Amino acid sequence: VPSKRSPARLVVALSIAAALAVFLLYTSIAGGTTPSLKPSQLAGHQGTVSVAGRVVAPIGGDAHVNGLRFGLRDVEGAGRVRVVFRGSVPDLFRKGRDVVATGRLENGVFVASELSTKCPSKYAPKRDA
Amino acid sequence: MPDLGRAALVTALALLVYALVAGGYAAWRGRRRLALSAQNALLGAFGAAVVASVVLLAALARHDFSFQYVADHTSRELPLGYTLTAFWGGQEGSLLLWLLILTGYSAAAVALNRHAGRDVVAWVVPVLGLVGTFFAVVLVFVSSPFATQQAAADGAGLNPSLQNPYMAIHPPMLYLGYVGLTIPFAFAMGALLSRRTDERWIVATRRWTLAAWTFLGVGQLLGAHWAYVEIGWGGYYAWDPVENAALMPWLAATAFLHSVMIQEKRGMLKVWNMVLVGLAFCLSLFGTFLTRSGVIQSIHSFSVSSIGGWFLGFICLIVAGTTVLILSRLPLLRARTRLESLVSREATFLYNNLLLVALTLTILWGVVFPLLSEAVRGETSTVSKPYYNFFLHSFGLPLLLLMGIGPLVAWRRASLRALGKTFLWPLGASMVAGVALLAAGAGSSRVGVIAYTFSVFVLASIALEFLRGTRARKALGTESWPGALSSLVARNRRRYGGYIVHASVVFLAIGVAGSSAYQTVREQRLAPGETMTVAGKTLLFRGFETMRKPNHEAIRAVVDVYRGGDRLARLRPGKNDYFAEEQISNEVAIRRDYLGGDLFLIADQVNANGTVDLKALEKPLVNLIWFAGFVFLAGSLIAMWPDAREERRLAERYAGAVARA
Repeated sequence: VPSKRSPARLVVALSIAAALAVFLLYTSIAGGTTPSLKPSQLAGHQGTVSVAGRVVAPIGGDAHVNGLRFGLRDVEGAGRVRVVFRGSVPDLFRKGRDVVATGRLENGVFVASELSTKCPSKYAPKRDA
Repeated sequence: MPDLGRAALVTALALLVYALVAGGYAAWRGRRRLALSAQNALLGAFGAAVVASVVLLAALARHDFSFQYVADHTSRELPLGYTLTAFWGGQEGSLLLWLLILTGYSAAAVALNRHAGRDVVAWVVPVLGLVGTFFAVVLVFVSSPFATQQAAADGAGLNPSLQNPYMAIHPPMLYLGYVGLTIPFAFAMGALLSRRTDERWIVATRRWTLAAWTFLGVGQLLGAHWAYVEIGWGGYYAWDPVENAALMPWLAATAFLHSVMIQEKRGMLKVWNMVLVGLAFCLSLFGTFLTRSGVIQSIHSFSVSSIGGWFLGFICLIVAGTTVLILSRLPLLRARTRLESLVSREATFLYNNLLLVALTLTILWGVVFPLLSEAVRGETSTVSKPYYNFFLHSFGLPLLLLMGIGPLVAWRRASLRALGKTFLWPLGASMVAGVALLAAGAGSSRVGVIAYTFSVFVLASIALEFLRGTRARKALGTESWPGALSSLVARNRRRYGGYIVHASVVFLAIGVAGSSAYQTVREQRLAPGETMTVAGKTLLFRGFETMRKPNHEAIRAVVDVYRGGDRLARLRPGKNDYFAEEQISNEVAIRRDYLGGDLFLIADQVNANGTVDLKALEKPLVNLIWFAGFVFLAGSLIAMWPDAREERRLAERYAGAVARA
């Protein structure tokens, strides 16, 4: 009788969904994720990571020639790292701003392939922060 | 003035608490007059929210910098239009907008809905009161737009990227969508609380859900267009957490809109619908939470603020309450009929739902992954574009295909032979298209070819549906072809409006696939007089122009675009330097080509020696995305349009239902 069989089918459909969920869990745990670190946590990390920190001097170089060079330090703390970045520099990039750089550590210098700034907190009142 | 605003908010809070408490008591004990007064309290709360909003607007218009909110988000040089849109440029104002829309919707929904039945509405009022109370509490005690300070001489200005005409329309659209999902949620809970778990709550809220869903969809497309013309990285969607925050409730609501049709027609999936409406509402709260809490790094996360905990608490409350309520009413939610075959309209709806929910949950997983990984492993990890693209392809492409199959499959059970006959033409058309695309060299992107082949299939099956329907009407009478077509649509607005929405999704898919899978990007440093080429066009850099505007200085690179010997256009990409805000913003230049693709120029870096680092993108078919927005809106409006015949049918049906009960 069809009316007896169909709940089983629903269960099949739902278990497909469950299987997909497990698959999902697997892919996100096993790979395809980028650790987000502070400059002070960078030492010893292999592979691609993203580093969030505050831009510090000296800032030099040309992002479209040999690369923009700048320092990045922990937003709260003392750890720092030198960064070299080639590509499009975000408009909001400047000393004292918080940025996220994605790339890898090579010989003590962080070679970034992506650079993005976080909006300065104009959107919500500063006194909240 | 600020006192008036504060008083209005406190009044709104008091009225909403009354709607919650008195409305709840009235519904519980069946006190009709008390229930009516609770309804009136909702109306009154709307009035109070209007007063509060007017006070804030007036303060903005008068540059009253004794309001902290006005000082923090506007400046004297800011044009009046943007000064007024700063209403939703910040957190407190956005919350006030939420409250205003919520109370407005609540008043209208309660006043207008007769189908749902009096006992359902009696319970809807306290649910709406609860949601409203939450926002009013946050506005009164935590994040008030009426906080005052020593009046400053000038304000801090508005974020330059918010100084854009889209600012006037994109956020309110999204809010209308987010908040609109409260109404179906409240009616669903009302149905559960009053134990009236038939389809009446669905019928009563169908247009509300559709409207909220349309606002959310259009709002997102406007946001994408804003990002495309203003933010200037050459794209329109970046899988940013806050963008995802709007996409998730839209996907959940899409699933809900489809699955309620199954409940209406066949009385199935009752529990599922309750879960979906709860999911959609919670995701819309979560979206507001994400935008406001700063808990996840995002280009939109403007700062860590004090309201995150409140939102999280409220979301937990809603999730727990909904779960308990559904579980306690499970016996009432038993299906009238069962799924008879895996090849039937119901089954395709079910697959559509599973895919949509899977896609929603995948995105949710990606959004909260940084938080989870930090909690589990002590190290924050993020997932990026490849993750989202992978799941968009694996769930989105089958969804696209289903859109072509679903509408042509018979209810209850369909024979495979009949299906083969139905799909002969669409299948043939898509095969031809696939071969033609491969021959034309589109094979460079496998996903692109699959998406286009599926798109042709869906468009062909939609066209076939219109053709069959029109022919059948033509055969009935003496109508002309256009007359037959329009009366066909007019008589089945939901169905054919739905098909038009489907067509818009196909256009969207074509535009997205074209502009991402087949785009060309070139970058080069140019001195005045030098050229570069992109996609067969030559770009000649002539030099810089600078202009001084009231609140910013504009620098533009003048670039002439040639194809062969003909000059196609003069474009001026550049940058604006805003004085008060101390910010620079990128101003891109776009040469529109509605049939081909846009040429998109970014003056990536303006160098002191007079050279420019120019980035040029050729984005094929990108304009189909915006065109899809208009088609989407048209389809939704057709599906939503009031229909006297439908009203009559429903009135008869539920008069019968009441008589039986």
